[in-house]
Amino acid sequence: MSSRSLWRSLRLASKRQFAVPETQYRCFSCSMRTQNQPKSDKDRMTHFGFENVPEHEKESRVGAVFSSVASSYDTMNDLMSMGIHRLWKDHFVRSLNPGSALPSRNVDSAEKGWNILDIAGGTGDIAFRMLDHATNINHDHHTRVKIADINPDMLAEGKKRSIETPYYNTDRLSFMVGNAEHMPSIPDNSVDLYTVVFGIRNFTDKQAALVEAFRVLKPGGVFACMEFSKVDNALFNAVYKQWSFSAIPLIGQLVAGDRESYQYLVESIEQFPTQEEFRGMIQKAGFMIPGRGFENLTGGIAAIHKGIKPLSRV
Amino acid sequence: MARPALRPLRICRNSLLSYSCTPQRSILATITATIPQNNLRQPAALRSHLPTQRLYHSQHHPDLPPHEYTNSQTTILSAALKHVPAHGFTKDALVLGARDTGFLDVSVQLLPRGEFDLILFWLASRRGLLRAAVEQNGLLATSDGVNAIPASVEEKTKTLIMKRLRMNKDIRHQWQDALALMSYPSNIPLSLSELHALSSDILHLAGDASVDASWYTKRLSVSAIYASAEVIMTRDSSPDLAATEAFVTRRVEDSKAIGDKLSGAKQCLGFMGSTAVGLGRSWGLKI
Repeated sequence: MSSRSLWRSLRLASKRQFAVPETQYRCFSCSMRTQNQPKSDKDRMTHFGFENVPEHEKESRVGAVFSSVASSYDTMNDLMSMGIHRLWKDHFVRSLNPGSALPSRNVDSAEKGWNILDIAGGTGDIAFRMLDHATNINHDHHTRVKIADINPDMLAEGKKRSIETPYYNTDRLSFMVGNAEHMPSIPDNSVDLYTVVFGIRNFTDKQAALVEAFRVLKPGGVFACMEFSKVDNALFNAVYKQWSFSAIPLIGQLVAGDRESYQYLVESIEQFPTQEEFRGMIQKAGFMIPGRGFENLTGGIAAIHKGIKPLSRV
Repeated sequence: MARPALRPLRICRNSLLSYSCTPQRSILATITATIPQNNLRQPAALRSHLPTQRLYHSQHHPDLPPHEYTNSQTTILSAALKHVPAHGFTKDALVLGARDTGFLDVSVQLLPRGEFDLILFWLASRRGLLRAAVEQNGLLATSDGVNAIPASVEEKTKTLIMKRLRMNKDIRHQWQDALALMSYPSNIPLSLSELHALSSDILHLAGDASVDASWYTKRLSVSAIYASAEVIMTRDSSPDLAATEAFVTRRVEDSKAIGDKLSGAKQCLGFMGSTAVGLGRSWGLKI
């Protein structure tokens, strides 16, 4: 009996989530924007999961979510994705192939290797993988990664983990607290590869972050982003939605003791634009799109987007 | 009510053929009205807005570009081709090509298929060069005017296959690697479609105009000859690919012999069939 009631509550919970139509938010925010154009930042609304919150509040609320999940981040990722997120991340790094296998033509050692900026990479998942790939596969001992995260708690987790890696306390790995929408400490045209993995979903203004990425990248530099996306198969989508709206918050409650944060996680995935829309945003920021512009992973649960900054015509 | 419907038929009653012509002509008129055909009569420059995916082909259409890469991609790929003899069809060649043209190492992300894009670009650009060699440089033109016997389609095909194979001369030692990469399961469809495009171009340039089932068999046999000759070429150390040329000559003769034997067999079967029918009739069967 108890299991049945639990099942029912889960189903009802998931149905409640489905009942909130996505378009409602859009209309609301659009009309808000058109009506209140001259108003200050304070009154502009953005989404926080399925909720609408003032833009200035989103940053702190996202901060609270990630501060609360920082310590159990990896365990939770493994449970939620059944370990597949590691395969995605490995594939992401392998396809980028960081590090120069060929001897550089530059004699200056500061110009050797790649300058990689890993945004929202607090726990260092991607950064360590990229450094490992550059060192072990391409024998490049110069490639550097700068990890930037808006959340000091996530960065602290990453710093703690970096002690176990050979890159600890070397000039190849550095940490920085910063907002991806505005990074004055990073000069123009200075980065070879800009990565943001499962992070851009949480940004308040995604387009501003893309424009900032365009600014810091060298001409020819690459913007690469992996993010949860839209499943293209209707049957698989039904199964996936059931899993994400009923199982993930429950796992969050049981393992991390924090249902709200994981409720936010699945809602923010639902709010993220589709592959095509996001590709349009990348193009709008000025990037060239290679081929189709995105690659679906596991039927579209996640997608890798890439954009290349064109060479400036002098 | 039936009378007005019959009226147009009555108009062209005087000729037997035109009994059915009126309704047909009106249908044709509506079709030509709905399709913007006058578009096709404009010069090629004005037609550029037409979609590149067409449902039918005509020799009045401008040639499609041999590949669909963007400018930046073409820049990197063309520069990378210069490094192929030394580095093969590898990521290294791509990276060097990117560096030559002012891009960064990371910019090879512009090519989602990596080194396979380099191979496809090689194939497509060489196919374009072959087309240009015939259409602009007169590769197949007979030199001494009126008295020369025009070469047969088979001879032209052979010339074109050899011309295409000789383009591979400088990268011959790297080509086995490329063939290996092309036969990788996920790459097979694109490799085959490129092979089909090449054999189709060769036959078109050789002046083959078959419209029946031999359209397929001819393309199949040219593809087979070209693909097998490519493998021979990778191990051919004779000057000017003489061994490969001999191989191609033998294969073209083979396919001609097979074609002759098939048509001979068809003819023979036809005779036997008509003999059987005649024999049956002489026995009083109602056939």
